[in-house]
Amino acid sequence: MTQVNFYGYGIPGFTKKRLPGKLLVLEGTDGVGRSTQIALLREWLESKGYATSATGLKRGDLAGKAIQRAMQGHTLGDTTLNLSYATDFADRLERDILPSLRAGFVVLLDRYIYSIFARAQVRGADPAWIRSVLGFALIPDAVFYLQADITHLIPRVLNARGFSYWESGVDFLKGRDYYDSYIEYQTRLIAQFDAMADEFDFMRIDANKGIHDVFLTLKKEINSLIKEMKPPKRKEVEKRLAKVERAKEEVKTKSKQDGKGIAEDQAPGEDKSKKVVKKENPTNDKERPPQAKGDESEKKGAA
Amino acid sequence: MALLPDGRALPGKLFIVEGIDGSGKSTQLDMLRKWLISQGYLVAFSEWNSSPIVRRMTKRGKKKQLLSPISFSLVHAADFVDRMERQMLPALKAGAIVLADRYIYTAFGRDVARGVDPNWVREMYSFAIQPTVAFYFKVTLEESLNRILAGRPTLKYYEAGMDVGLHEDPYKSYELFQGRILEEYDKMIDEFNLQAIDATLPLLEQHEMMIEIVEGHLESALRAAQSPWQEVLKSEGLQGRYLAHQVSGDSS
Repeated sequence: MTQVNFYGYGIPGFTKKRLPGKLLVLEGTDGVGRSTQIALLREWLESKGYATSATGLKRGDLAGKAIQRAMQGHTLGDTTLNLSYATDFADRLERDILPSLRAGFVVLLDRYIYSIFARAQVRGADPAWIRSVLGFALIPDAVFYLQADITHLIPRVLNARGFSYWESGVDFLKGRDYYDSYIEYQTRLIAQFDAMADEFDFMRIDANKGIHDVFLTLKKEINSLIKEMKPPKRKEVEKRLAKVERAKEEVKTKSKQDGKGIAEDQAPGEDKSKKVVKKENPTNDKERPPQAKGDESEKKGAA
Repeated sequence: MALLPDGRALPGKLFIVEGIDGSGKSTQLDMLRKWLISQGYLVAFSEWNSSPIVRRMTKRGKKKQLLSPISFSLVHAADFVDRMERQMLPALKAGAIVLADRYIYTAFGRDVARGVDPNWVREMYSFAIQPTVAFYFKVTLEESLNRILAGRPTLKYYEAGMDVGLHEDPYKSYELFQGRILEEYDKMIDEFNLQAIDATLPLLEQHEMMIEIVEGHLESALRAAQSPWQEVLKSEGLQGRYLAHQVSGDSS
């Protein structure tokens, strides 16, 4: 996130203008392959040394479970469900996505507010209202829109899990025929996404092509976006660690000279080496560890 | 060709297996499924008494012995129609192959063995799709009892047909009940043009007989790669570390 911009009113009290991380969104309708691509991208980014996190709709602590339960029982009204989705999104944004961005993570998002818009609008919600409600959303660094035709989706959906109640829009479409409803509902959803592509500047990716083609396109686009946030080279990490070691030695010598115990501000039982490493990092005030697991093990290996 | 009750043909193919307990039908259906997938076909599967919504009701009814022959029949019909609407029919409309472990003939056999009117239960299921091929795994009562009772399993109340009042010993009751069902099945072979397979033949021999029949119906059936990402992992040098954690049913 080089520059912080919100779609609407923003988040009260959030004044940061720049964030070191990157917010990358994959959008598209059900069964288009978003989660598969995210799984592949996440592993690829981590193998290149980027700290990466991934999240998606309905996965927040606060509201995720409640939405899933309500959907199982088909019990919530349209507006209630829309606001529950918004609650879940706000929760994940404030407690997961933003801290990750502040800590310099590449954040991969499986769906964003556009999916919430699409599902609300096909059910008759006012587009202006839902946009205003979700105005606290950050404008992502990139939105990749996986665009596929319904004929390409059918075998994939059947292969994965079959036609489901919600993915077929049976909650509001007339008739009980899952197949006909699925075609109707997904066609309408895709039309919503297509219309939003210009409004929100989506990068269109042809998802009728195979998984590999889509992955290669995404890799290329993401590579150019993350160039500037290159992870530190091994040598540099070693240099930094050596500096940490020197600092530790100095503290020891100094405390011996002073005839005191080890650093005063240290709580009993706290692992000192970890603390010093943390201090070396410019983003140590964040909730999330600033480095990917791979990086940590690299440090340990070097030390 | 799978047919709707009004005679219209569906683009998909519906293969079902029937037979009394211990006839080996589920084993054969599983072998058929693996073979179809290995041939690149898209296969949907549906099993008797497995609808997540209705199953709870059936389970409760069985546990508390609340079911009469009529309500037993009705609750299974509810399960069937739920699976038909949500699993079988959409897949058949899309042109896929659907495999069903037990079908309406199970109800015709069991419910009639319980004493319900054969015409009543047949009329109730008049909404059912007519399968492309209905396989019937024919086995003698002695052989099936040998297979099922060899380990002296605990027989459940309805499974043993205890509600019918044939005998107070569960094992004896089960024998009598299965015998009745077998009689019903034998009557259905001609009535519904069931494809009988000798279930005492070696497994592979039965499997090959099934394939030979199924192969004749596969023209234009929907195909799909099963794990299309595997090739990507190989060429990109990735392990698929996060693929296993994919959230299923992530619907909008």
